[in-house]
Amino acid sequence: MMGPSQLAAEFWRAGKSAACPIYDLHGHMGPKGTLFMPRAEAPEMMRTMDGCGMRLLVFSHHLALRSPDIGNAPAVEAVRRYPGRLRAYCVINPHYPQQVEADLASFAAHSDVYLGLKLHADWHGVPITDARYQPACEYADRHGLLLLVHTRGDSAYSGPQLVRQMAERYPQVRFILGHSFMYDWDAAVRVARDFSNAYLDLCGPFFYRGVLEKFVGEVGSDRLLFGTDMPWFDPHQAIGALMSADIGDDDRHNICHRNAEKLLRSIGCLPLSAPGAQGIDAPAGS
Amino acid sequence: MGFFDCNVQLGLPIEGRLAPVATPRELLLEMDRAGVERALVWHCAQLEAAPQVGNQLLSEAIAQEPRLVGCWAVMPDHDEEFPPLGTFLARMKEARVAALRAFPGRHDFLLNAVSTGELLSAMTARRIPLILSLERGADWRTIYELLGEFPDLVCILCDVGWPGQDRMVRPLLRRYPHVYVDTANYTVDGGVESLVSHCGAHRLLFGSDFPDSYFGGMMLAIQHADVPAEAKAAIAGGNLARILGEAAL
Repeated sequence: MMGPSQLAAEFWRAGKSAACPIYDLHGHMGPKGTLFMPRAEAPEMMRTMDGCGMRLLVFSHHLALRSPDIGNAPAVEAVRRYPGRLRAYCVINPHYPQQVEADLASFAAHSDVYLGLKLHADWHGVPITDARYQPACEYADRHGLLLLVHTRGDSAYSGPQLVRQMAERYPQVRFILGHSFMYDWDAAVRVARDFSNAYLDLCGPFFYRGVLEKFVGEVGSDRLLFGTDMPWFDPHQAIGALMSADIGDDDRHNICHRNAEKLLRSIGCLPLSAPGAQGIDAPAGS
Repeated sequence: MGFFDCNVQLGLPIEGRLAPVATPRELLLEMDRAGVERALVWHCAQLEAAPQVGNQLLSEAIAQEPRLVGCWAVMPDHDEEFPPLGTFLARMKEARVAALRAFPGRHDFLLNAVSTGELLSAMTARRIPLILSLERGADWRTIYELLGEFPDLVCILCDVGWPGQDRMVRPLLRRYPHVYVDTANYTVDGGVESLVSHCGAHRLLFGSDFPDSYFGGMMLAIQHADVPAEAKAAIAGGNLARILGEAAL
């Protein structure tokens, strides 16, 4: 079913694979008024993660993205409740420089929570090259952090030309290009080829038949990262797409876990360090 | 569990997408690879050229392929763009066409009693499904108004948009007993379980939007949804087979 590969057969039978765990580096959490999401909170998300063999989800909380009154606190709370399964991106809202300063000042104190920063320039209405993002990007560059940037091919806030400027300016940052410049797949290929510190996030591309094959063929599966926007989407849908694509199981292993493991090791975040963490396979408090 | 896909497209699209499927042979190979038994197929020329053109291409394509069931497109027939209704329905049967699509927003007509009433009345009486895609020429206001006028119409809503469109979908499912929703883009995490629990498994149909999307995405999601096995079987194909079987052509 889905395709002829051994891995596809395993996922079809069991819904997950012990040999092929999932690291989802693009998730969310919490309510968002425009969407009906029956599994938007951490306990329900754990259930989904268990069902598909997702070892780790790195997310930005919807409230951090969309409610500056609340900010990153719910993400911190969720990660500390499930330290073996969750990590967060610290969301940067450029409209509140004092809050950005405070978040960066406390970043090190949250080393058990954050793996990097998240910019959503399209929601915040500020181009990623704007000076208001500079303190956060310089911080990410100094510390070699992950920087998950929401991107769209046609966006005046997060399009390919702006990301190129960022990748040149901040060479130590590991850029995760959220949605891989949605719909401008050629631009994604070019940026990934030109910048070794840029990774293509497959949240979005999973929906479009042919994009996975294009990325694997033109960029290589070692630069692709599994992402779902969970709880927006069912990870089994993304896994099903991955198993259906005309690529090899070795590519699928790269996408599901090997690339993420390598990337997290390179920034010193794997194995996960957390006071009281129970190890990556053992959720606490569930 | 046999998969019968209600949302499959054939033909070469005008924009030249990444992986179109031009021939029934290619489509059947992909269905075999994925494990899809049957498909209700429309042709992209119905939307992008004209319904008459796409209908003809589709009929020719599926004529020798019993696993492919046809879905024609319609427009109002005021100006004799289509044959008289009786002739049209007879030709549908002859061509193994079991459902109809309409693209009102793309073909510039209103899907209501004034514009398309004769056809919609006949479809309601004969229980011929009307498929409306939220990504291809139908919008929620049109659908709400249509069902207000034709509450017993068998209507399959496809491509219902990015996740979380349940605030649009569920009132229709609750009010109108013959409305169904397909799984193409119904991909919100926990959505299958929630919809089955609140509206029943008989209202959800497997649809992939192949070849724009992979067959396997929602196949795997259905396979591992936390719902009873009989609900999965109904969603995978049983519901569509029943709905098409109830149509009187």
